[in-house]
Amino acid sequence: MPRVTVQVRDAAGNTATAVADYSLGQPVLGGYYLSGGADPTADMAGGNFRSLTQYRSLADGYIFPGYNRPWLVSLGKAGVQMNMVLELKHYGAPGYGTQSFAVDGTSYTVPAPTMTIQQRPGATWPRAYGYGQVIKGQCDGLLARALSQYRTLGFGVNIQLASELDTDHEFGTTEDGKAYDWAESDARAVQAMNYILTWFKARTLPAGTTFSVGLGGFDRACFQRTHPESLMSRLDYLQWNAYGTNASHTALARFRRTKDWAVADLGPVALSRPVIIAEWGVRVAEIPNQAAWIATVPAAIAQLNAEGGPRIVRTNYFNSGWGTLTPKATGLAALREAYAKRPYV
Amino acid sequence: MAAPIATAALNASVFAPGDQMLLTVTYSDADTKPLTVTIVVTDAQGNSSAPVKVTAVIDPLTVTVTDNSGRTWTRVSDNGSVAVYRSVA
Repeated sequence: MPRVTVQVRDAAGNTATAVADYSLGQPVLGGYYLSGGADPTADMAGGNFRSLTQYRSLADGYIFPGYNRPWLVSLGKAGVQMNMVLELKHYGAPGYGTQSFAVDGTSYTVPAPTMTIQQRPGATWPRAYGYGQVIKGQCDGLLARALSQYRTLGFGVNIQLASELDTDHEFGTTEDGKAYDWAESDARAVQAMNYILTWFKARTLPAGTTFSVGLGGFDRACFQRTHPESLMSRLDYLQWNAYGTNASHTALARFRRTKDWAVADLGPVALSRPVIIAEWGVRVAEIPNQAAWIATVPAAIAQLNAEGGPRIVRTNYFNSGWGTLTPKATGLAALREAYAKRPYV
Repeated sequence: MAAPIATAALNASVFAPGDQMLLTVTYSDADTKPLTVTIVVTDAQGNSSAPVKVTAVIDPLTVTVTDNSGRTWTRVSDNGSVAVYRSVA
């Protein structure tokens, strides 16, 4: 580790010495996500894209690399850092029933998911494997299936548990007919995340495996509740998402909002962890000149990292939903230009 | 003769390549005193010159900064108790 040594000497030769250690961070990894989990290879080709976010439901029989996704293996072997979001959320297909399957010769039966999340009034509430189900061990087969597939990938990934716990819990959750408010859901999720971490960490994992939990990062109290030091000591990264969705939103303000809450509210273990921005984007409806907004991102990230506190080490553009690049070619060109500058190089 | 004391603090613990790095050195020594000597020359007739002042520092301190990674640190400012040095990551 580099070290600066300061020596102060008086006329008689008495000295005092002080040292300050520092380390040199790698460039921030510029990353991407393409709508629908589609093959992003063509969009990334020739650009300084070094990081990727992917989403999988633990209900899915094909988690690593995913159904019909050989390109993920190619990108991973080429050094693109994968942030694999594993969700208890059931994506709905092909059905919600009990699953029975064998993993490496062991048979598992996993009951149907019994929790609802994202209970926005008027919306259809998605189903998810319940935090109670996880803690009872009913979902161990899902974890075993995921791990077995993961071991065949050939590289380590960051496993982000849940996409956005705050979005999942914002309107409460229900499991087995019992309703839990936002704060109760957060507390139950922390227990379930701990269970899953214990399960994985008790087994042989591919080299380079890291873990994080997923948050949109839009609610300060939830962010604090879901990042107790006891959980953070078992996680490798902090994570949040950042979107520009209002004409008044600057990149600096949007990326720093959750960071400022973290610095104010979280403990030293949490703050020692670097940050993955699993999703960032700019919504064209309110900010028509997406390219101009994207162009301000490198300086914003450089400034935030220069200010101290947890360092942002990966930023993955979410070319879907709020972040959909319209027109795509213009947005992609802006992303390429941004990722060709400090702090991405 | 008292021994000096010193502290060193960087503006961050992790730097990205190309970042400006700032090192703040705070230092002191109980013996180090600024001193002002005022001189008035008076002749035999009692005529005195205007006073002139010179300042001196008793037991001044010298600060040296070294870096085991070979970076060069340049002094930006130094007021006798706080010195700031700059380098590039």
